[in-house]
Amino acid sequence: MRLEGVWARYRRRGPWVLRAVEVALAPGEAAVVLGRNGAGKSTLLQLAAGVLRPARGRVADRPAAVGWVPERFPADQPFTVTAYLTSMARVAGLGAGAADRAVAHWADRLGLARFGPVRLAQLSKGTAQKVGLAQALLRPPGLLVLDEPWEGLDAAARELVPELVEEVRARGGSVLVSDHRGETARLPGARLWTVADSTVRETAPTAGAAMSVVELLVPADRVTGTVARLRAEGHQILRVRADSTDPPDVSRQGADTGPPQAGRHGDGSPDGGSPEVSRRGAGVPSAAGEAG
Amino acid sequence: MTALVRQRLAGFLRTGRALAPVLAGLLALGVLYGGGRAQPAEAYGVSAVVLFPVLAWQTKILLDVEPDVQRRLAGVLVGAGRERAAGLLAAAVAALGTVAVALVFPWLVGGVTGPVHPGDRTLLAGLLLGGWAHLLAVPPAVALGALASRACAGAAGYGVAVLALGAVGGLVLGLSGSVAPWLAPPLLPTARALGGPLAVGPGLGLTGWALAWAALAVAGYAWRRRFRA
Repeated sequence: MRLEGVWARYRRRGPWVLRAVEVALAPGEAAVVLGRNGAGKSTLLQLAAGVLRPARGRVADRPAAVGWVPERFPADQPFTVTAYLTSMARVAGLGAGAADRAVAHWADRLGLARFGPVRLAQLSKGTAQKVGLAQALLRPPGLLVLDEPWEGLDAAARELVPELVEEVRARGGSVLVSDHRGETARLPGARLWTVADSTVRETAPTAGAAMSVVELLVPADRVTGTVARLRAEGHQILRVRADSTDPPDVSRQGADTGPPQAGRHGDGSPDGGSPEVSRRGAGVPSAAGEAG
Repeated sequence: MTALVRQRLAGFLRTGRALAPVLAGLLALGVLYGGGRAQPAEAYGVSAVVLFPVLAWQTKILLDVEPDVQRRLAGVLVGAGRERAAGLLAAAVAALGTVAVALVFPWLVGGVTGPVHPGDRTLLAGLLLGGWAHLLAVPPAVALGALASRACAGAAGYGVAVLALGAVGGLVLGLSGSVAPWLAPPLLPTARALGGPLAVGPGLGLTGWALAWAALAVAGYAWRRRFRA
């Protein structure tokens, strides 16, 4: 699937959300879309899934079977979980028998079996999100588009998402995932696309690259914003602590001798000068004890 | 696409919002038939006029009852064109249900009678012409309701404005002596035609007029929906 010179906006003469986007995803590949809130991640995903039409450019070679998991599942519908999933399976083109089997399989796999007779409107946010995940998988997708799939899920279900992604990839499908929670480390081997300033940049994969830890000193009232920005730029936050008794010497080192080589962005991107806590990738410990 | 039509009809019926337009329609028909008995064709002609805004409103409700994100999910599964077509088809099926109620209703309240005078149309002819008049109202009503739906009109205020303007315009522009009768679907011209003898030629002309009006409105709907998932 390729996005060729894609421009997108939500109304005529409105501001461009995305400009001249050129990205491609081969069968068996996964890409994680990073970016701040409102950067255009969901727009990019919806263009890829076929929900939105580009104002300019085109999306080429989109697989016939697309599974899209929206950021918020529309639970305000008068159906039970089983009735809804069965209906969606039929809408996706499955026969009656195949639809029943697919619904039973995914309900069991995602822990939805006991919610079968429950109305969608009565589900918790996380359970509703699982229904959203299930409906996208009823028909084996050639392209699976997941918009913030970890949002609202419990720990067990969060662990299941990478498993499902790998299964789709193993079948030759492509997967596109957006993430602003720093869950990207769960998808090793995925490409990283960063949406910023209405454009999409690919960040070079860091698998096998040397990693560095950079300590920052940030005013207390700016911690949340800084953490969010760094995550959006693809960095992994290892820890946030309140005291600053151990002053970082990295900034001094950077001022005197230039940025440390091991900690620089590999793609020479404009955010290369951003203070780097740690690049995501293999061998980086999880963000235990992180805040914000 | 059949599964999507079925899903949308089920969603429409289960929410209970289907009741409002049907009750409004029955109320209007009750007033219409409360004045005494009439010949079926003549009465049904007016009934179709009364039902036009009700069917358009019903279509808007049916299309609006589905959450926007669910509509997009359906579009991803079946494609944008089929998603739109399924919505219109579901609305047409719901409209046919309301039309069936409207055709039976006058017989329940004694609003129509069989031929009384020599030269009156036979009962069968009256029923067939009445059914035709109602069927003629369905495509324009569904098209107007689709234009007024949230997916097409956007803000709720615009949707209500489109619906009100279409319903009132359909009546006003259809009055005798209208300067631009062709801007409205042929509801009143059909009712007038059923008040007297109706030849095949004018009947086909009215049918073509209604279908052409609906086709143009549906084309407008499809054009508006190109960038509105």
